[in-house]
Amino acid sequence: MIRDEFPCLGWGVGLRRAHYAEILEQFPAMDWFEITTENFMVAGGRPLEVLEGVRANYPIVMHGVSLSIGSADPLNQAYLRDLATLTRRFEPAWISDHLCWTGICGRNLHDLLPLPYTTDAVTHCARRIRQVQDFLGRRILIENISSYLQYRASRMREAEFLAAVAEQADCGILLDINNVYVNSFNHHFDSKRYLDTLPADRIAQFHLAGHRDCGTYLLDSHDHPVSDEVWELYDYAVQRFGPITTLVEWDDRIPSFTDLAAVARTAHDRADAIMIAREALDRSSLIAMRGSHAPRFPDDNAVDPAVK
Amino acid sequence: MSPADAPDLQQLQKLLYRLIVAPNGVEDAIARDRGAIDLDQIIVGDERMTALARAGIYANSYFYRLLETLREDFPVTLAVAGDDEFHNLVTGYLVDYPPSEPSLLYAGRYLADYLGSSPIIARWPFIADLARLERGLIDSFHASDAPSLDRFALQSIPPDTWPVLRFKLHPAARLLKLQWRVDEIVRAFEQKRGQPPVVAEPVMLIVCRKQAQTFYRPAEPLEAVALSLIEQGSDFAAVCEAISAATNDDLPQLINHLLLRWLDDGLLLKT
Repeated sequence: MIRDEFPCLGWGVGLRRAHYAEILEQFPAMDWFEITTENFMVAGGRPLEVLEGVRANYPIVMHGVSLSIGSADPLNQAYLRDLATLTRRFEPAWISDHLCWTGICGRNLHDLLPLPYTTDAVTHCARRIRQVQDFLGRRILIENISSYLQYRASRMREAEFLAAVAEQADCGILLDINNVYVNSFNHHFDSKRYLDTLPADRIAQFHLAGHRDCGTYLLDSHDHPVSDEVWELYDYAVQRFGPITTLVEWDDRIPSFTDLAAVARTAHDRADAIMIAREALDRSSLIAMRGSHAPRFPDDNAVDPAVK
Repeated sequence: MSPADAPDLQQLQKLLYRLIVAPNGVEDAIARDRGAIDLDQIIVGDERMTALARAGIYANSYFYRLLETLREDFPVTLAVAGDDEFHNLVTGYLVDYPPSEPSLLYAGRYLADYLGSSPIIARWPFIADLARLERGLIDSFHASDAPSLDRFALQSIPPDTWPVLRFKLHPAARLLKLQWRVDEIVRAFEQKRGQPPVVAEPVMLIVCRKQAQTFYRPAEPLEAVALSLIEQGSDFAAVCEAISAATNDDLPQLINHLLLRWLDDGLLLKT
């Protein structure tokens, strides 16, 4: 099972410059940190020094924004070499990037653009993800992006596209709950049905973030608290996929580390509550079943009269 | 649109790229194409947002993300030019130097070159030098780590090898040969003072990094001569000859003074 390769690291936050000093001086309680890979693809200096200090005390995950896995350009070999170098040095628990394109003809838009949801695009992305995985010698995660446009050329739904790419590439999925919600508004679909479409065994990490309501569309701005609707969808995701590694993303108007950590704790508490409720439900279902025509289970604590 | 009519991935991405980076917006770019682009046949519009408006979100995002990055990277250039003029400068800069690197850290790499050839130089003749200093500080901040030459290493050099010794600059060191004393504007900005008058005076600014913090200072005139030669790979004898030819001061004392200052600044690489 792919999920086994990505053990639950717990509930973490993004490593941001505003919090460097507090993290390195006080080593606050936090399960893990996610870094934006490109911010550390530098020759030397303070950023790498900071990352050394963080990595010595916490697990990290490397989350990229420029792999451009869906671009029609050839894969950027220099970028891949830099990615491999950083990976060897800091030994992240895993590496992730987005199912999108970020540039063409050697130019970079520094944005995550959607792909047409076609079988050709599935094949194209899956082949390139396999190349990246072969190059790095490890499985990666791909993340669903937020988007503001869809193409007439698309022939399947976004969730089907994501699932097909992950299956063909044999990679894991980083499921951004906020992006699902944002896209469900922007493109008129049912967010829970989206989650139901995804292969559960490939979901290895969640992202939570805030968005901005721009009236006619929702903007994935990472500068607001997680909305009630996204929390509700997170609850649904935990029910469906279990308590997996979760990250709170916040990139602009960043709150204090204490406040950010509190959001991660809220996510943890909600996931715990859901799992306790699910366990209680499973037990009560079991008892109800046993009361009628229940089969006997070898792990049952009750003593079987036949072996007395 | 049938699958056969759909643009292939490369065509689609090239088209969207062209629309997103168009300096006057998506609508203007389409109008200039005189009907060659039917965006509604490519992007799905609906009652909430047209195809044009949806593409426009990406165009805005592209420009404002880069504008914000450059505002952060060039705070003093921004302060001199002001918000509106800086906005216009960035618009022109992105047309001439669209980003190609995977990281935003490099988005402003050519801003000084752009400003140097821009008409704005007539209004603020020092602005390209100013951007060069701000960019130099960023480059130094992220440059490779390497041990700096220290006194112990210097003292262990055998005396007979000094004439042929070739010092190397630390990877974080930058020698900026400028025409304006823009260091004085940056210093005033850091100290939250008003902008001083900028002096037209050829100067070498030394930019380097010490304990992960960048710094800059003007080189002394003879120091500039010596560092230029070191940067070019000249040996120590050639450096001493050049200094000797330029001054009647006591050469050993002068060399000693410069070496101690360079060691203190971490300017030389330990090899």
